[in-house]
Amino acid sequence: MRSYWFGDVVEGGCIPSDGNTEARVRRVHLLRTMMDDFVPLAWEDAVACGICRDRSEYIAFLREVCFAAAEMEIREQYAGKDVELLQMVRTLDEMDELINRISERVTEWHQVRNPSFSRKYRRTPAHVLVKNIARSNKGALGRVAVHIEEFSDARTELAKEVSNRANRVLPNSSALIGGLVAARLMSHAGGLMPLSRMPASAIQVLGARTALFAHLRTHSPSPKHGIIFQHRRVHNAPREVRGKVARALAGKLAIAARLDYFRGVPVPEFLERAQARIDLLGGSEEE
Amino acid sequence: MIRIGDVLVSKGEGNVYGERMLGGARVWDPFRSKLAALYYTGTGIELLPGMRVLYLGAANGTTVSHVADYTEVVYAVEFAPRPMQDLLEVARRRKNIVPLMADASRPELYAPLVEAVDLLYQDVAQPDQAAIAIRNCTFLRPGGQLILMLKTRSVDVRKPPAEVFRETVDALVAAGLAVQESVWLTPYHQDHAAIVCTKPDGGDS
Repeated sequence: MRSYWFGDVVEGGCIPSDGNTEARVRRVHLLRTMMDDFVPLAWEDAVACGICRDRSEYIAFLREVCFAAAEMEIREQYAGKDVELLQMVRTLDEMDELINRISERVTEWHQVRNPSFSRKYRRTPAHVLVKNIARSNKGALGRVAVHIEEFSDARTELAKEVSNRANRVLPNSSALIGGLVAARLMSHAGGLMPLSRMPASAIQVLGARTALFAHLRTHSPSPKHGIIFQHRRVHNAPREVRGKVARALAGKLAIAARLDYFRGVPVPEFLERAQARIDLLGGSEEE
Repeated sequence: MIRIGDVLVSKGEGNVYGERMLGGARVWDPFRSKLAALYYTGTGIELLPGMRVLYLGAANGTTVSHVADYTEVVYAVEFAPRPMQDLLEVARRRKNIVPLMADASRPELYAPLVEAVDLLYQDVAQPDQAAIAIRNCTFLRPGGQLILMLKTRSVDVRKPPAEVFRETVDALVAAGLAVQESVWLTPYHQDHAAIVCTKPDGGDS
């Protein structure tokens, strides 16, 4: 007996399977085909099965099944909790870059219009400066500045959403290094599954690609940290122990990522011990 | 193959990916499509109206749409969800494309859906391209042909492309296929080669 999407072909005939598209999709999913002595189907068998009358009808029915199966598969792949978060973090990071770059350009432009303007001896944060530019300039410059402000607001909102979503998708990692940084780690790894498969040493230098390859090629010192530097416990640690903290944190993160992927809920007993261990290294110099 | 002057074209509904039109036909750009590049750099295989094609690595359906213009039916296999969305859109408009969302290295998963084909076309970015092609030759009728677009950089970036090429040809020959033509696709595609093979009549492979 040979089983195909439309039915089972037996000696001297064909037994049709359930007739609707959904049932056929399910059937194809369940069929276990052995490739060793496999014989490809002949569409004429489908006619013998009473599935269709001619070739064009055969292709039409087959397409129905394939479209339904593909759409279901796509939906399933996108249903992973991390898929949308990935797009959210990447959008956030690209927005940051965009806002920085265009703010700088607009400032230059503003400076040309105002010969007496200078940022020296002033600590005007970029967003305040953009606000001033928006207020004091007419025409396109002012409007662009207004748009930068609006864009920054959207960015702030997105950052909050990313953080909240990360707390849900990556509960353990987020508890260790905060939602934003956890989400960025995941984005660099390419998803929660790849992150959970990474060794701690890879997580430690995730996002320090240039430095890592410079180290591998030449004899420059190895990078101590990548994205995890963004976490306060790493960048606030005294310089001498920073590498140590980064290593310990990465070690715990590797475990956390696995918990996130395989369990998907916070594990308090792990988190407590992990926090204690990292704090110990950051606070004192002993191992 | 249809050419207007020196330009390779296919006849079908246009505007699939913003391709240029020429005298009512769709221009098939060798810089965008490896199969088109093969028709410019080598001989390739004449696509005929009665042909059934199994296309592995269909991606966004750009080349698939041209192949479908020439042939009777194209079974288009693609694995990734993002390009699959585009491929489905192309297949909705072209009734002779059968979209299959599956991994080309696991033919057993789409075997119940695919009939015997005259042409097996493969363009996948995988390290084991020869093995994938050989496994899928099950669907190829005796005397049918295989066009393997070898992406040497996907096999091993550290190896010289010529060496990867030789090894792949050897693997195909060892599997019982007769190599009919093999060309590099420069200047259209770097480090890509096209290998055209025939599955022997009657012989098991």
